[in-house]
Amino acid sequence: MTAPAIRISGLRKNFGASEIIRGVDLDIHRGERHAVIGPNGAGKSTLFHLISARLPVSAGAIELKGENVVGLKPFEINRKGLSRSFQITNIFHNLSVFENLRCAVLWSLGYRYSFWQRLAGLKDARQRAEAVMEDIGLAKRRDTPAGILSYAEQRALEIGITIASGADVILLDEPTAGMSRSETDDAVALIRRVTEGKTLVMVEHDMGVVFGLADRISVLVYGQIIATDAPAAIRCNAAVQEAYLGTSPHLGNEHD
Amino acid sequence: MNSAIFPRGRLLLWGGCLAAAIALPLLFKSGFVVSLLCQMGIMVVFALSYNMLLGQTGLLSFGHAVYYGLGAFVTMHALNIVGKDGGPLTTALLPLVGGLAGMLAGVLLGYVTTKKAGTTFAMISLGIGELVAASALMFPGFFGGEGGVSGNRVVGKENLLGLTWGPQVEMYGLIVAWAFLATVAMFALTQTPLGRMANAVRDNPERAEFVGYDTQRVRFLMVILSGLFAGIAGGLSALNYEIITAETLNAHTSGVVLLMTFVGGIGFFYGPIIGAILITVMQIVIGGLTHAWLLYFGLFFLFMVLMAPGGIASVIAVQRNLWLAGLLGRMLPHYLAVALPVLVLLAGLVGLVELSYALLAGEGVGAGDTATRVMTMEFHLNTPGPWLAALGTTALGLLLTRWIGSRAGVAWNAALATLHGDKA
Repeated sequence: MTAPAIRISGLRKNFGASEIIRGVDLDIHRGERHAVIGPNGAGKSTLFHLISARLPVSAGAIELKGENVVGLKPFEINRKGLSRSFQITNIFHNLSVFENLRCAVLWSLGYRYSFWQRLAGLKDARQRAEAVMEDIGLAKRRDTPAGILSYAEQRALEIGITIASGADVILLDEPTAGMSRSETDDAVALIRRVTEGKTLVMVEHDMGVVFGLADRISVLVYGQIIATDAPAAIRCNAAVQEAYLGTSPHLGNEHD
Repeated sequence: MNSAIFPRGRLLLWGGCLAAAIALPLLFKSGFVVSLLCQMGIMVVFALSYNMLLGQTGLLSFGHAVYYGLGAFVTMHALNIVGKDGGPLTTALLPLVGGLAGMLAGVLLGYVTTKKAGTTFAMISLGIGELVAASALMFPGFFGGEGGVSGNRVVGKENLLGLTWGPQVEMYGLIVAWAFLATVAMFALTQTPLGRMANAVRDNPERAEFVGYDTQRVRFLMVILSGLFAGIAGGLSALNYEIITAETLNAHTSGVVLLMTFVGGIGFFYGPIIGAILITVMQIVIGGLTHAWLLYFGLFFLFMVLMAPGGIASVIAVQRNLWLAGLLGRMLPHYLAVALPVLVLLAGLVGLVELSYALLAGEGVGAGDTATRVMTMEFHLNTPGPWLAALGTTALGLLLTRWIGSRAGVAWNAALATLHGDKA
């Protein structure tokens, strides 16, 4: 029996006197697509920041594939095979699309801080960056500076940078936020394709996306997980309907 | 998709620059020009090393003179140890000693400064720069106190091609060789994984961490490598001037290299080269013409920051894009039309500056400081004539510039719109 992709136990985070994460226990199975939903301010993004070490943990434990990762730096966790995207687009604005992706693969290919190798000669880095560029549909924008891409293109690049290193645990923070219906459909297809065979955890407000993609769903309310279950069971869960959706009986097409 | 280190176009450009650098002292045989060229070459290396931090890694340093100065002092001591008995080749290689000293300084100081980026880095670099400059006066044994340390680069025995490094033109050859090597090396660095990740750290340190890179390590390595090249530049200056004082380490030197790099353009590899050449010429040529040169210097910097924050290189890049799009021909008449009123405006401003400077600083030709000399013309400060003429010229220049400039501006915007429209 292998350890879960992520095991969170007794996790707490407070900013001064206000506690944002109030004792979260959660197991993310290997290879599952797991969505974290919850009302605004529930602490979903904070939870991601804690897992990826963007914020220090106040108390509790986080294990990545059986290994304690509390106290590690973001780049150390990344090197252990966890990669994440951001709710607010977080890319290298002055670099071209291709350079963005090549930067994302350099470490995982072992080039580290090399100043004795020419980038142009690194065939594997180029091929991997080009393959991802093809995957996210930005091949025709290869040499465009990332800063002047359209919003949807930047979101696609954000996902591309996240998956490029080949990490097997992927955290996506609101990947479809701010997208039109058709852009969202494209993004969902993209996420489905690029996370094939990997562990995916995502925060998402679009219930169409959540119920379409997720194998399991956790509901985070006021810093605590009130339910973790398969989509169908979550849809019928009375506590979820009560706490998260008021009394609405229908968990169908809610949009953020 | 050209994967050669030096594609043909680049090879031609670099070869052309090298040829020009070698040919210049043959065209102008005067000692003044050769000295000027020597200083340019040294400053080119210094400014390029500075831009490894500012332009490429996004680190604003106010203490870059430390690496340059320490490189110079160590080279000078090495020169004095080697003495006359070393061969010409030994002396020629001394700047490398300076480079290693700069690198070592980068290891020691960079470890402290690169803990944080942004404003913190700038402040710490300023503090450390002042610290080193101040302690230089406390260790006269090494830094030579007020008088500095001097040496003699001339080697007694000549063998290698008959070089003794005595004549300035031989020194110039040495500077060109070092500057070319250093420039090629610094350019090559921009094409490596570390060089590219430095750009990534500049653009978005957080994202760089989340693709597996320790941003502090990237900054640290860039500071060390930048220290190497700054130290080489310092070593060249030690050989060139044969004297080095503690002043070299202070904030003024750091300020000048920042200015050169910024004016040239931090967003382009070749920007600092342009800046170093231009500012060196301005310093020496304008400095020789007028005592108010620092004021012109300041005005020029102000103008660049406000009108062309991307530096001269960015202006060139835009012209190149216009040219490639076939639009430059449309703009040229406008440039020429604007040049005339701008010249009038400049003449008026120069008049005002010189008159005021003469009056306030008492820099007149004597006779109770009521007269001053601009070029060969003598003006009387206590008569309204020169003042009215200068004011009138300035006002006329201002009006004409605004009038003609606004029409050129319309054409400019149209050209840019076409340019970007074509791109999208």
